Amino acid sequence: MVAALLALMYPVALLLGMPLARQRMENLSNWERATVAALPVAEADASGSRLPLGTSPAVDAVVSGLQSGSAVLVRGAEVLATGVTIDGTEAVLPAPLSGPAARLGASLEPVAGPTDMSGRVYALPESAPPGAPLYLDGSLLVSGSLSASERADGARVRFTVPGLADALADQTDTAVAVVGAAALMEGPGFEREGDIVTFARAPAFNAPVRLITGDYAPLDEAAGTIVLASPTSEAPRVAMEHVAVVEGLTGTYDGENRDFRLQHVPLLERDPGRRLYVGDRELLSGDERPAERVDGTLRVFTFASDHGLVTVDGRQLVEGSDYERDGNVVTFAAAPARNAALRQHPDYLVSDASTGTITLAAAPAPGEPVWAGSYTYYARPGCGATAFECFLSMPQHPVPFPNWVAERIVPFFTAYPFSDSRNVIRATLYTAAGTLVSLAFGTLIGVLLAVLFVRVRPFERALLPWVIASQTIPVIALVPVLVAVLGNMGVTVQTSLVPAAIVGAYIAFFPVTVGTVTGLRSVDPLALDLMKAYAASPLQSFLKLRFPAAVPYLFTSLKLGAAAALVGALVAEVESNNRLGLGYAIIGQVQAGDVADVWILLVISALLGIGLVSLVGLLQRLVAPWERTGLAGADGDG
Amino acid sequence: MVFRVGKGEAVALEDANLEVMDGDFVSLIGPSGCGKTTLMRLVADLVEPTAGEITVAGKTPRQAREDREYGYVFQAPVLYEWRTVIANVTLPLEIMGHPKGRRRERARELLKMVGLERFERSYPWQLSGGMQQRVSIARALAFDPKLLLMDEPFGALDEITREAMNLELLRLWQETRKTVVFVTHSIAEAVFLSSRIVVMTPRPGRIREVIEVDLPYPRTAETRESERFFELTTQVREALRGAPHGGGAAPSAAEQPLQRTAGY
Repeated sequence: MVAALLALMYPVALLLGMPLARQRMENLSNWERATVAALPVAEADASGSRLPLGTSPAVDAVVSGLQSGSAVLVRGAEVLATGVTIDGTEAVLPAPLSGPAARLGASLEPVAGPTDMSGRVYALPESAPPGAPLYLDGSLLVSGSLSASERADGARVRFTVPGLADALADQTDTAVAVVGAAALMEGPGFEREGDIVTFARAPAFNAPVRLITGDYAPLDEAAGTIVLASPTSEAPRVAMEHVAVVEGLTGTYDGENRDFRLQHVPLLERDPGRRLYVGDRELLSGDERPAERVDGTLRVFTFASDHGLVTVDGRQLVEGSDYERDGNVVTFAAAPARNAALRQHPDYLVSDASTGTITLAAAPAPGEPVWAGSYTYYARPGCGATAFECFLSMPQHPVPFPNWVAERIVPFFTAYPFSDSRNVIRATLYTAAGTLVSLAFGTLIGVLLAVLFVRVRPFERALLPWVIASQTIPVIALVPVLVAVLGNMGVTVQTSLVPAAIVGAYIAFFPVTVGTVTGLRSVDPLALDLMKAYAASPLQSFLKLRFPAAVPYLFTSLKLGAAAALVGALVAEVESNNRLGLGYAIIGQVQAGDVADVWILLVISALLGIGLVSLVGLLQRLVAPWERTGLAGADGDG
Repeated sequence: MVFRVGKGEAVALEDANLEVMDGDFVSLIGPSGCGKTTLMRLVADLVEPTAGEITVAGKTPRQAREDREYGYVFQAPVLYEWRTVIANVTLPLEIMGHPKGRRRERARELLKMVGLERFERSYPWQLSGGMQQRVSIARALAFDPKLLLMDEPFGALDEITREAMNLELLRLWQETRKTVVFVTHSIAEAVFLSSRIVVMTPRPGRIREVIEVDLPYPRTAETRESERFFELTTQVREALRGAPHGGGAAPSAAEQPLQRTAGY
């Protein structure tokens, strides 16, 4: 039975969790981004018609998306060749390249620092072009690092760096971390296990935490320093000028077509790092706003540039029919709606980010290539490659797998010693005590009311509507009032059983009253006649007949009352901010988002409820042994 | 005179003049609705007449009830299910304030008399219907009342149990010499048990005839097969059948039509 229920939790968890996981996976804002950049030739002095590109992951990423023959060879912004194909790790040119692939500048200056960093930290010369590749001994150095997924808060020492284990799988050297503008060596600086990095000293608040996975990584952007993954005796050199393979956009180059496509999609709509070129000219990304306010009546607008594509709320307009252009003044056929987003894109706009389609303001001349210096795209879902992986990595599952719950049980119960008020068993006992006290009060009040109702009819008519009305008030609304009243009376509600006892009693007395009234009225008329025949006094008749006859009803309603009183006690604990009980633990875990803990607490609460009801059942056996249990115990004489 | 209670059907009990002697075993027999139970309840002061006169041992029914002059056995055993057999028998003694030791002794004595001494610690639901009814008889005898009112006590039992119970009741009556007023539907039971049989007719309920039963004592199973037994049963049967509707015997001067309470 229990096993079947547990087994059932797996499909239920999947049924409820998978749609959420799919949503999580499809949400682009959760995706990992990747940048396509120009690929410098791997050997500085390479020439001829086959140029090596190296074997770094960056090369694989760019090359895998390139369509055959769409690569372009450039030097700076100057197009050297089009129709370049990629053959393995080499770029094959239609015509041989004359001269070396890179013109190297002076060696980098070593920077003095800690001894274990000697031969690793260098300063770039000020004359170096931004983003220029570094060559060591004529071979290209690949820049690369992975960031930690947690933010440094000044206290945290354990960080997760997703993908680190894979990236450093064949690295034999000690790893290097960059924390803020300082480089740390594995060993003295930090310990590494899989994707987990544990620092000897907590990184400073908000300091970026990265691990070098390539040949080097920028150390301090402002000072122009870099740190190498492995120490070298010879300093690397920066390329003052270099040849690189870039992605050419696909489309029809017929002098008319203005739509071209990038290979790596989906694109970021707003990408400050996106550099697109037509021939040797870089295109302006971004857009212009009109000088005038779009007030719903104005039809004439002035822009900064005298050319470009005009859009209203992202919809592209057609020159000639939608608007007329006179220099940088645009006259609309119909006034754009008030506050519509009116924009002019001087060179191009991203017309469809999901397919990587851009539209140029002017068609390139035939034979003039359109190419991408760099751009960013959404590479893959951040949560995992499949919906199931995203499901597994969800921070909050609607229903957990039972084995996750099982793994949490031991740490959950042993997290705090029993003497600590946060100990779960202690909290459970605390809530149980509150419920029992409330149940005792509730029973007393309930039975007294029932006796009053049955003995004195006018009381029933006067009070019963109020008793029923009392149960229509949601407890959750009542508790704050109670807490305020108790607070004013000087009760420290945060550490007191009183709110739980009162609320539980408030809930529990009602079923007890109803059940006892029913029981007291359930007496067989012949049994009453018997009492009359014996000339019994009203008190004797009550004690020897009515009350014993009501006892089974009383216990049935007491079981209902016990379950309800537990709910009342939990609500009271939560609302009175009482951290000693189970109620606060449940709310705390729901907010903390650990669904396995929530389920453990759910089971504990259920067991507590069952335990309380069983306790009432046990009491019934002791008090009312005549119930048909097959046990003939004490006799009722006297 | 007719009185009405609630929405009950008004059925009169007329001409219910009857005197029961000390030590008599009087059976009331008649078809359903002839007011036998009402008469019993009037005697027991469980309902009150609006007119007429009933004396029990020279007292009013209320006085008799308060003086605990009678024991009442209902058609159902009416045992209190939360009490053991012995506690059910001691119930009237508890109410009457007898000391604890004495009442248990008395209850054991009575349970032995009805053959249930082995079941004193059982609860009622563990007993058969016949056994439960024997407990209820023991309970009625517990405080040693002079008068025993028995309202179809064996009505719900099967024929075999009923005959066994009849024998037992007769033995008890002979041992204790109580005055018994016994309501029954069964002619054979009435003839077998009674010293006098009161034949009643319905709508309005009235006493048709009083038949003396001169069967010799001790009556045994063979008594049922005797010739006199058959003659008497025939006589009772004819009295029941011969009773004309709404006529017959002239109404007495103290004509007392009474209402029969619903449900009994």
